[in-house]
Amino acid sequence: MAVKKIIIANRNNISFKVLGKKPLLEELYSQGLDIPFGCKYGGCITCAAKLLKGKVDQSSQVALNNRQIKNGYVLLCVAQAITDCIFEVGVESHDKLYRNPFLDKLEPHELKADIVNKNIDEI
Amino acid sequence: MMNNLCCGPGYASPYEATKAPREKILYTIAIYTGTGIQKPDYLATIDVDPESPNFSKIIHRLEMPRIGDELHHMGWNACSSCYNDPNMKRSFLIIPGVRSNNIYIIDTATNPFSPSIYKIIESSEIKLKTNLSGPHTVHCLESKIIISFLGDAKGNAPGGYLLLNKEFDILGRWENSMGEISFSYDFWYQPRYNVMISSEWAAPNTFMPGFDLEEVGHLKYGRRLHIWDFKKREPIQTMYLGEDGLIPLEVKFSHNPNSSHGFCGAALSTNVIHFWRSEEGNWEWEKIIDIDNEPHPDWPIPIPGVMSAILISMDDKYLYLNNWLHGDMRQYDISNPHKPKLTGQIWMGGLLGRAPVVNGVKIAGGPQMFQLSLDGKRLYVTTSLFSTWDNQFYPKMKKLGGAMIMIDCDTINGGMQINENFIVNFGKEPNGPSRCHETRYPGGDCTSDIWL
Repeated sequence: MAVKKIIIANRNNISFKVLGKKPLLEELYSQGLDIPFGCKYGGCITCAAKLLKGKVDQSSQVALNNRQIKNGYVLLCVAQAITDCIFEVGVESHDKLYRNPFLDKLEPHELKADIVNKNIDEI
Repeated sequence: MMNNLCCGPGYASPYEATKAPREKILYTIAIYTGTGIQKPDYLATIDVDPESPNFSKIIHRLEMPRIGDELHHMGWNACSSCYNDPNMKRSFLIIPGVRSNNIYIIDTATNPFSPSIYKIIESSEIKLKTNLSGPHTVHCLESKIIISFLGDAKGNAPGGYLLLNKEFDILGRWENSMGEISFSYDFWYQPRYNVMISSEWAAPNTFMPGFDLEEVGHLKYGRRLHIWDFKKREPIQTMYLGEDGLIPLEVKFSHNPNSSHGFCGAALSTNVIHFWRSEEGNWEWEKIIDIDNEPHPDWPIPIPGVMSAILISMDDKYLYLNNWLHGDMRQYDISNPHKPKLTGQIWMGGLLGRAPVVNGVKIAGGPQMFQLSLDGKRLYVTTSLFSTWDNQFYPKMKKLGGAMIMIDCDTINGGMQINENFIVNFGKEPNGPSRCHETRYPGGDCTSDIWL
């Protein structure tokens, strides 16, 4: 399996090499990148980072809704790199992660995957 | 304690508790999780002795050894339920990290002014032995401790209850069955009725990332209360609250152990639900307080109050509640629990703009958690709810941090007034703005003690 290059755009473009077999949080943290995290199972968005370029597999995450995913958010605690990636990390990258749910409602297709899929099943 | 040298912790009765000496220090949770500051959450010790030169100041900060716990609620290792056990002492605070799942046992007895970490129960051990995550409410149960958890190890509802012994070893799950319960959150028990009542927030995977209104419609949030057979450790009756009880959070029985009356705050509906056991032996409920949504020029729909907490005074005379989004704290006389009377109200922060500054400090949130003195005269109120929800509704909290204010309460005639000499500004902490949450006192408080 090829080595992937991970660049952190908002930390002076510091770069890391990862194998893509473990979650990015684990790989980057062990190489010294200090980023917030919480649950470590893809359930709480504390570790959310914005993917600017590249591809990841975060199929085991259960916390992001489809709008957050569309805006590029990735939960590093479960995501594995498929290609080279460029990220913004930490709270500085969270400009589109949070929204006032009363002022800005989600469309049905923007909800979390389990709800969207359940609705499709029922139709 | 000063009131008794021969017995265990706490007080012989709620009445005795109201006569306890005035609190001199508070322990308050302060968090950096979700704020962008890479520092651990901590337990702040606050001086509330008006004779002290440090009155209204944080005098000690106990940092947790890890980052990202999101400390939230806490509880004592022992309360008045151990009053007859001379071997027990109220010496340890139990503080779970709701995100990390670690549980910290804090020694407050060796030096109350400088608490220290006594033991850590690791997340991995809890998950391995009990398959639980998302710890919330801590209650002691004579010499044992029960902690409600909102999810399984993967953050799915309904979670369950962790049982610890007095050495803080994991004994396993407390409950024998979760029955048909969909969600967990808060609980309280009233031993003379052999009853426990539990409420419903949501699965950790639902509420941790933030609040989506649409998910309420998709039944991802709770709307039920559950009555338990406390000795059999299983649920026996469900109260479906429907639209009157969307997201029922804090649930309390009266302090009087002979009373079957209790109350729950339904956060999203912003209602108080009153429940009691009828003479026929059935558990009944009714809505007794309904806070109207308030219009806001920038909002397409009126703003709900979001009643995230309630508290009952030690003499069971007053119920306190918050409207986190509106910005007011209220006091109701519940001498007749079917017909509460509004007797006091103050404003601090909130989205309605009624009190953006309190005692010279800009308030970025609204009233959220509160703790009342045992004599009922001083209410300490903090402003942060939960990091991800703070970030949605009060994004300025990142820069301004949280604050604690003190409200003087009139226990005779009713009434509330902000104390002008007291404010703790967590926006000015040495490591940057932090957010304050739940508070406890060394001698016991109005959300800890239960009588057998």
